[in-house]
Amino acid sequence: MTAPSDPAMPTLRTVLARVHMRLILFAVLMAGATLLITGVVVIRGYAERNLSLIAQTVAYTVEPALVFDDMQAARDGIATVAASESVRAVEVRDVRGRLLVDWRRPDGGMMAAIARGGGLLAPSPALASIRRGQDVIAHVRVSGDAGGLGRYILAALLAGLTCLILTVLATQMLARRLQQDVTAPLARIAEVAHAVRADRQFDRRVPPSDILEIDRLGRDFNALLDELDDWHAGLLSENRMLEKQATRDALTGLGNRVMFEQVLPGIMARADADGGAFAAVYIDVNRFKQVNDRHGHDAGDAMLIVIAARLRAVLRPGDQAFRLGGDEFALILAPDIKREDVAILTHRLLAGMEQPIMLPSGESIVASLSVGSALYPDDSADARDLLRHADAAMYAAKASRTGTHD
Amino acid sequence: MASGAARVVSAILEYTRWPTEHPVIRLCVAGAPRHAGRLNEVHLPNEAKIDLSTLSGPADPARNLCDALYIGQLAPLPLGRLIGDMRGKPVVTIAEDDPDCRSGAMFCLIFAPQTLSFRLNIDAVSRSAVRIDPRVLRMSKGRY
Repeated sequence: MTAPSDPAMPTLRTVLARVHMRLILFAVLMAGATLLITGVVVIRGYAERNLSLIAQTVAYTVEPALVFDDMQAARDGIATVAASESVRAVEVRDVRGRLLVDWRRPDGGMMAAIARGGGLLAPSPALASIRRGQDVIAHVRVSGDAGGLGRYILAALLAGLTCLILTVLATQMLARRLQQDVTAPLARIAEVAHAVRADRQFDRRVPPSDILEIDRLGRDFNALLDELDDWHAGLLSENRMLEKQATRDALTGLGNRVMFEQVLPGIMARADADGGAFAAVYIDVNRFKQVNDRHGHDAGDAMLIVIAARLRAVLRPGDQAFRLGGDEFALILAPDIKREDVAILTHRLLAGMEQPIMLPSGESIVASLSVGSALYPDDSADARDLLRHADAAMYAAKASRTGTHD
Repeated sequence: MASGAARVVSAILEYTRWPTEHPVIRLCVAGAPRHAGRLNEVHLPNEAKIDLSTLSGPADPARNLCDALYIGQLAPLPLGRLIGDMRGKPVVTIAEDDPDCRSGAMFCLIFAPQTLSFRLNIDAVSRSAVRIDPRVLRMSKGRY
């Protein structure tokens, strides 16, 4: 199983979404702030120029009225010029500072409040002189308001907010797209890795991806899987070989004692399940030691090989032969065997042994066997007891043999 | 600064442009003026000098030398003839005793208890050879 993933650990999608969010947020804020600041500076500059133009126009318009000393005309002139909404107040003072005409925009509305609130942003008042010939006869002072700027900033903030909302939506969509493009192929790789590791499915392969790096990763991963597959197959065959070596007798090719002990419980279980029977047969070569001593170990080995071959020859399909060690052999006669069958088989085996065995030295020798058998479950339903039973039967046969002849 | 009629006359002269620039502006007084007493105090900010003279009568040949004409009380007939003579010439005509401004003078003074204003005969202004600063039109009674 995979290691339990930490729930606090962020997924790739989360990370991507977070990175996108930060990036786009940064970009929007940077662009927004830059636009806002430059906009404010530019608009403030325009507002100041506008105010200064208005001041000059007021000065020009009001001049004859001052000359004619007609303040009503002056006020009317100012009202005409200052009708532009960016002007808050106009004052005309003579050279001694005495107020001649004073005009103020009628107050009211939310924009006026905003304009007052934006007092810091309001352009500085514009001044102009009214001349009569060479002499300055009065000064005009025009105060603007921040209404335009306020509206601009309000609009900019609204636009910025909209952009932010769009940003969040775009981030989500981008993250989803990226998840489809990046996370999904990665997840497929992870899934294949998991299948290979957990279920040994070495035939699984990662599908190709549209993204170069992930595709490369997938190819490398597949190549690694190929190598792993080969390696695994090699390991399996080696294991099989080792297992064979461990359970086979090298000389005769029969199963050895280890295999015998491994096979026996399975046979017993099957017999129990089917309600059938099987026989365990112990076989010992009589006077094998003397053959060895007299004719050499080569002769002994050759004799064992021939005996093993003859054992095999009498077995029915499903029966198994083992060399337990030295001159000891064992047979397991497959399920559903009766005592008569065992007797027949033993008889055939002993009959087969009457044929002389040709030794490497050219001499021939007749081998004789002692055979003891036990029937499961008739003789015993316990494995150890069953084998002891067979062993005892074999020794009994040997004793009777020595008792009779040769 | 002169007050009353002198002040208005001075302002009118100040915003009047003759076809040729005059270093000295000849201001003639005709008829029987009642408020021309301080016209000699008039001076213009652009350094131009005022040369004040009084015409002996509506037919005084010196009238042809005038740059501006201040007309006091005068009988309708000689008044009409005098103004008729001035038509088409570069002369500003200011009538002192014609509140309805029917005499054909360009400017007509209107005396009220506290204030002094003027009416403008736009027809006369447009026919005259002198140019009046349009800003002055706003100052006139009735406001063009």
